[in-house]
Amino acid sequence: MHRNSRRIGIDVGGTFTDFAVLDADGLRVYKAPTTPEDQSQAILQGLDVLEIESSVPVMHGTTIATNALLEQRGARTALITTRGFKDVLAIGRQNRPQLYEFSQSVAPPLIPESLCFEAEERIGSDGKVLTELEVPALRELMQDLKEERIESIAVVLLFSFLNDVHERLIAAALEKELPDVPFSLSVDLLPEYREYERTSTTVVNAYVRPLVLRYLTRLGRVLEGRSLKVMQSSGGTLDARQATLQPARLVLSGPAGGVVGAFTLAKHALKTPQPQIMTLDMGGTSTDVALCPGRIPQTTENAVCEIPLRLPATQIHTVGAGGGSLVRVDAGGVLRVGPQSAGAVPGPVCYGQGGEVPTVTDANLVLGRLLPSRFLGGQSSHVLDTGLARRAIAKLGQSLALSIEVTALGILHVANATMERALRRVSVECGYDPRSHVLVPFGGAGPLHACAIACSLGVRKILVPRHPGVLSAFGLLMADITSDASQAFLMPLAELAAAPKRLVSVINRLEATVLSRLDSDAAQLDCSLDLRYTGQSYELTVPLSLPVTSENVDAAGKAFHTAHQARYGYSKAELPVESVAVRLRASVTQSPEIPNPDTGAGNTPFNPADAPRTSVYFTADAPLSIPLISRDRLHTGCVFDGPALVVQYDSTLVVSSGWRGMVDLWQNLHLEWLDHDD
Amino acid sequence: MTIDPILTEIYRHRFVGIADEMGVALQRTGYSPNIKERLDYSCAVFDAEGNMIAQAAHIPVHLGAMPASCEAALRTFPQWRRGDVVILNDPFDGGNHLPDITMISPVFAGDEPVFFVASRAHHADVGGMSPGSLPLSTELFQEGVIIPPIKLYEAGEVNESVLRMILANVRTPAERRGDLDAQRAAHAVGEQRLQSLLEQHGRAEVCRYSSYLQHYSEQLVRAAIETWPDGIYEFEDKMELADGRDASIKVAVQIRGGEVTFDFKGTDRTLDAPLNTVLAVTASACYYVVLCLLKEDVPVNAGCFLPIHVRAPRDTIVHASRPAPVAGGNVETSQRITDVVLGALAQALPHDIPAAGQGTMNNVTIGGKRTDGIPYAYYETLGGGMGASPDADGLSGVHVHMSNTLNTPVEALEMQFPFRIREYARIRGSGGKGRFCGGEGLVREYELLADATVTMLSERRRHAPWGLQGGAPGRKGQNILISADGHRTMLPGQFTRRLQAGDRLRIETPGGGGHSSARNSRST
Repeated sequence: MHRNSRRIGIDVGGTFTDFAVLDADGLRVYKAPTTPEDQSQAILQGLDVLEIESSVPVMHGTTIATNALLEQRGARTALITTRGFKDVLAIGRQNRPQLYEFSQSVAPPLIPESLCFEAEERIGSDGKVLTELEVPALRELMQDLKEERIESIAVVLLFSFLNDVHERLIAAALEKELPDVPFSLSVDLLPEYREYERTSTTVVNAYVRPLVLRYLTRLGRVLEGRSLKVMQSSGGTLDARQATLQPARLVLSGPAGGVVGAFTLAKHALKTPQPQIMTLDMGGTSTDVALCPGRIPQTTENAVCEIPLRLPATQIHTVGAGGGSLVRVDAGGVLRVGPQSAGAVPGPVCYGQGGEVPTVTDANLVLGRLLPSRFLGGQSSHVLDTGLARRAIAKLGQSLALSIEVTALGILHVANATMERALRRVSVECGYDPRSHVLVPFGGAGPLHACAIACSLGVRKILVPRHPGVLSAFGLLMADITSDASQAFLMPLAELAAAPKRLVSVINRLEATVLSRLDSDAAQLDCSLDLRYTGQSYELTVPLSLPVTSENVDAAGKAFHTAHQARYGYSKAELPVESVAVRLRASVTQSPEIPNPDTGAGNTPFNPADAPRTSVYFTADAPLSIPLISRDRLHTGCVFDGPALVVQYDSTLVVSSGWRGMVDLWQNLHLEWLDHDD
Repeated sequence: MTIDPILTEIYRHRFVGIADEMGVALQRTGYSPNIKERLDYSCAVFDAEGNMIAQAAHIPVHLGAMPASCEAALRTFPQWRRGDVVILNDPFDGGNHLPDITMISPVFAGDEPVFFVASRAHHADVGGMSPGSLPLSTELFQEGVIIPPIKLYEAGEVNESVLRMILANVRTPAERRGDLDAQRAAHAVGEQRLQSLLEQHGRAEVCRYSSYLQHYSEQLVRAAIETWPDGIYEFEDKMELADGRDASIKVAVQIRGGEVTFDFKGTDRTLDAPLNTVLAVTASACYYVVLCLLKEDVPVNAGCFLPIHVRAPRDTIVHASRPAPVAGGNVETSQRITDVVLGALAQALPHDIPAAGQGTMNNVTIGGKRTDGIPYAYYETLGGGMGASPDADGLSGVHVHMSNTLNTPVEALEMQFPFRIREYARIRGSGGKGRFCGGEGLVREYELLADATVTMLSERRRHAPWGLQGGAPGRKGQNILISADGHRTMLPGQFTRRLQAGDRLRIETPGGGGHSSARNSRST
């Protein structure tokens, strides 16, 4: 691949479809309103506006699989389980969702009781067949399935990760008897132990598969033969045709693009291959945070709509606080923010769409941190009404006997406390010191809150991307092409170190699987092991260098002790360690160069004194008159001190006093906390 | 003292965040399946006087019992040094039942402790007459090792003698040691977070808000109780004993002027069966019901409990004294106390109170030797039907009220223990009928692959979970032994029995009661 050939990233969100085009001339961005009834319409429109020729490869982030789950409109799916276990989905982990509620409801399982079938078979915990799946039983099962109008099938049998003979037998029968119905085998998707999580993951895959297949096929036609890759939850992209086979891997891809974008941006901007950053992606209803300790963090302990999804995903923590979070005073006279949100309709009070309950966005507007005329570059359909926002917050303030400004600042403090707690969760609670990380705020609202949150965490450096509002689309351009597979592998580590060959055949099989999904022979292979102290039931994933040798297995064991120490505060070198699963990822590195068109030469140096002024409240007594800086004027080499308000097309940044801003070669803005030693 | 409504909310996040972080550390480092898979633990933060400021309670039965532990530790040890950790499980001195081991440690500012952090975890075995330590005991001494409040760590140094004494009295000492380490790790997290809070904001501010938050919660609870109709409401329900007798629990609930008193006068005397409880557990059940009735999300702290009074005569089932056996009081009697309290309040608050849920945790313990000769102890509790509420069906196959533990995956069980699960399913039609139906019970059938001792503590095998306002009762539970030749024997609700390889134990858990008569069909 030519490193600087043109490519386009297209990220479809709930409100906007974001475009990022990269070529030798640099980076261009564009936003178009999403067309929910057919997402490809907005895509086509953007391609036209940006004049993208048909040879340009497309990297795509889609929420089609996620929305199918959220809205429960996936395929009519059947489940085949082992005899005695057809309620596995309905029972789940037997916990009720709310601890202190007498009246509760849970979403019905994705598969109704009438479409759960049992196969007369049983594999034991040693992988031996206890009850053979006989031909008559199989025939009867096929007959039952044929009588239902089924669009997709999930097959999950107990202990199939130790012995897949019965899942394969059922697959062969399905191919013959129901050739038009796609099926998903748990052993193909997630051959790991814990039956409920394996079942729910396989069911999600089967449930979204027909829909994703239809969507990507249609999009492929619209794109007229352009190469199409889609973002996976893991933060890597995969060819669209491959993605249709295991679409459960796309379900959590929404926030992954932003983290990949932030991480690759930081690599360039901080000039290190292993930047240590915390991302803060604040949107309308929620905020996503992630900590990258020199790499993009991965986890398999995920859930969507309370449904466990145990496939690799970028490790992201989401909290229900965003610009649209509703503010109220509770019965005890305390100010509460969220988790309820104003949503798109009616939205914040200042949208003038009938909302009456103030939101975080209203507080920002009242304090002068958002300018009514500059919201989305003035192009947004929402012209912000400061008067409405002031009235709503004044009313709230009256019940607390507080002024408008004190109340509005209080709203920001409480919202920031929620986000601070989210960042602590991914840093301190995981054994990382937030102070040694750079905060990367993005999304429409992240930069509004970044300085305040950084201060409360002791973070001294903030990196504000050139285009904070379309970082996810940028991330699509930067993502590696990846393919993942895993296999349960239960063995004491000492035993494995003594006979490392026992893992080789497993890895060879995984290697064939992951490579078959990539059309490249230059893939890099990364292996890792899920390890735990024998008897524990939570694992930590640590890298295993290939080839599998005694030394490399021992090194993985050492890495486990270290990781356990960092994560939980203690390790026990004398305790036996056991392996639970092995994971393999194949990746083709993309990391194109980002041209830096602006060297700073020839630009008039920016002088903050020349900037117009605007009034912003930092304390409640009186507003400060501070420079209002247009982001387009911040060229390479520019330096200025806070306080200042930096506005741009897709975002607004509050630079508090005590922070110094510097613009780098790519026009990213670096904020640094100045020590005031006096 | 000036109080900022904004800082109040921020401190609420901070204190709850600390308790939560402790819980995460404990869960992730624990060894007992009870801790790591079933979340049978709680963590809490207390002020210098022992008032609870925040609790991460996954288990409501710990609500009132955690404060009792802190009180016992402070009473026993007036002097503290940095790095001290007190351990206890004595039900009559700060504990609730022996498997729940509690640790308490101080957080210093300058020379004096200003906060305490505490953790409580259900350990899979603490010795006693049967594996899993939930035996059919007749006195406390049969239930396991009794730990009065003693210092496990002194000034940061582990007291090896104490540790060895404890570990010598349990069946699986390595696992116990791992769990105790996990609790210690949780404390380290809590101490560190409180320290940094004190450093950043100063003792005066942190303490001001820790005490104001209690006042705030108290106000919210009072305001809620004031909306309830004043009066005295009575109810009675039964515990089923192994020998076929019943024992009665009675309550009179008095609502007056923003306060509520739960008086258990008339409840039967202490039993020589493990179904007695200490008063702290009885209080937990009462607190739980009140918390469920709050419309506002109130921070759980000592303030919540000030308007709630719990009274019970000594030496009754609900207020036992040493050395009464209490192993099952925590898990079984606490559920019936909840039912009794709900039954009384249903008269005052007919639009809020649900029908009876399964009313038991169906405690199964299986112990023996694995095929490789290594001893094991397995303990698990099974979900059942939740009672229908005045506006919704009950959930099926869940834990109700005082517990919310997860099940252990079948594949994890079978790899670890010498038995096999033949069936794990909902029992169709087991929920009580009504305009809103009770949730369905579960069936779980174990097939033993080696001889083992099985102990069960379960209830609602003779008296079905009741419905309300014309709703039908849920189906009763059953414990059935199916021997290798297919012969079926009905077993009582509570038993300890030696079973043989090939035997099958089939447990069918109760369904929940229905609400309102079905004639008022839902479409109207």
